[in-house]
Amino acid sequence: MNEPALIQDAQHGDLDAFNTLVLHYQDMVFNVALRILGDDDLAADAAQEAFISAFRNINSFRGGSFKAWLMRTVTNACYDELRRQKRRPTTPLEPDTNDGEEMDSPRWLADPNLSPEQEAEADELEHAIQHCLENLPTDFRVVVVMADIQGLDYNEVAIAARVPLGTIKSRLARARLRLRECLRGFEELLPVSFRLEERQSV
Amino acid sequence: MNFRDVKLLSAYLDGQLNPSDSARLELRLKTDLELAAVIDDLRAARGLLRQLPSRRAPRNFTLTPKMVGVKPPLPRAYPIFRFASAFAALLFFLSYAVNFAAPRLTSASAPVYGYGSGGGPAASQELLAATEAPVATEAPALAITEVPTATESLALAPAPTQMAITPTEIPMTAQDGARDVETPSAKSAEPESTNGTQPEVQKEAPVSYVWLTGLAVVAILSALIAYLLRLSAIRKWRRRVD
Repeated sequence: MNEPALIQDAQHGDLDAFNTLVLHYQDMVFNVALRILGDDDLAADAAQEAFISAFRNINSFRGGSFKAWLMRTVTNACYDELRRQKRRPTTPLEPDTNDGEEMDSPRWLADPNLSPEQEAEADELEHAIQHCLENLPTDFRVVVVMADIQGLDYNEVAIAARVPLGTIKSRLARARLRLRECLRGFEELLPVSFRLEERQSV
Repeated sequence: MNFRDVKLLSAYLDGQLNPSDSARLELRLKTDLELAAVIDDLRAARGLLRQLPSRRAPRNFTLTPKMVGVKPPLPRAYPIFRFASAFAALLFFLSYAVNFAAPRLTSASAPVYGYGSGGGPAASQELLAATEAPVATEAPALAITEVPTATESLALAPAPTQMAITPTEIPMTAQDGARDVETPSAKSAEPESTNGTQPEVQKEAPVSYVWLTGLAVVAILSALIAYLLRLSAIRKWRRRVD
């Protein structure tokens, strides 16, 4: 795929050229949206919105990493979706305590009293990680999804998130610490090499 | 250990530290157990995220022209017809406005010439000319036939109504230029002799109705053609897109 040529054609209004880029990047864009939003349907909508917005604004792309530029578009679409959700709040997944306050800890998912269906769902490592990701502040989540899940380098993440490099480093460090803390609640789900207690005992 | 150390460890994991900072941190990691534990935590978190399975997109997100609001390509003649229609319509309304306004403007200025009630030298001259009118009234046909030049016909301007008919009878004797001038002079004389009744000549429109009708036809036809061209282009485009 000759990416620069396709971008140039798309900038001249060639929709077929742009669609070739869409096919190349659609899995990545969908995965980023999925990890940020945590819902398949919302992620698909955000991905579609991101590609529409990207085509309409493709003339604002002035070179550099097209992947980072596209990630910025999908990040914006996700922020829009999250803002929409804030305006139309839904019932939170987190259970209330006896005082009616939300529980801070995500450990409730590992509760042995969960139904078999919920337990089966909780057994999946992917769900546990996704749950911990969703517990992160959005700005941290965006950075960690870009850097650790999609493997973008710091500069690309800085472009996608529109923040300085120093902020990226700081957010990434905090996000990783918080994730590790959250994942302690799912120790039994983690592969042996990632179990802290076992590593320490060894 | 503070957050700065955590930041350093995180950057170290990603190979973002310069060699000297890396060497210094590696030395500390050998002796500082707490630091080593934290880097293990960070590495574990990063490793778990990296091994998350990548999902396939549930569908293709390719775009259609409809989704991005791409308009159908219109034929090259379309803007020509659209412009012709707009221009003809504009001309039509302007011409109509002229026709509408002209008689009113003429009638608004008529009292000055016709009745001479206003002051000023121009008005007194008109009044003087009007006093000569009875002479012309007595022998209108003779007065016109004897007019050899345009200037003399102007002097006879306040001629009575009957003069409007006579010019058609005198082309053999009067010069062409004189005949052209006679008509307006006759017009200006009308109000005086007929005592306020509107003459036929004033009702004549400055822009001919043939011209107006032509403009209207051009405007409507051009608009119709432009509309049909657009409709046909959109239908073809939709068949191609769907």
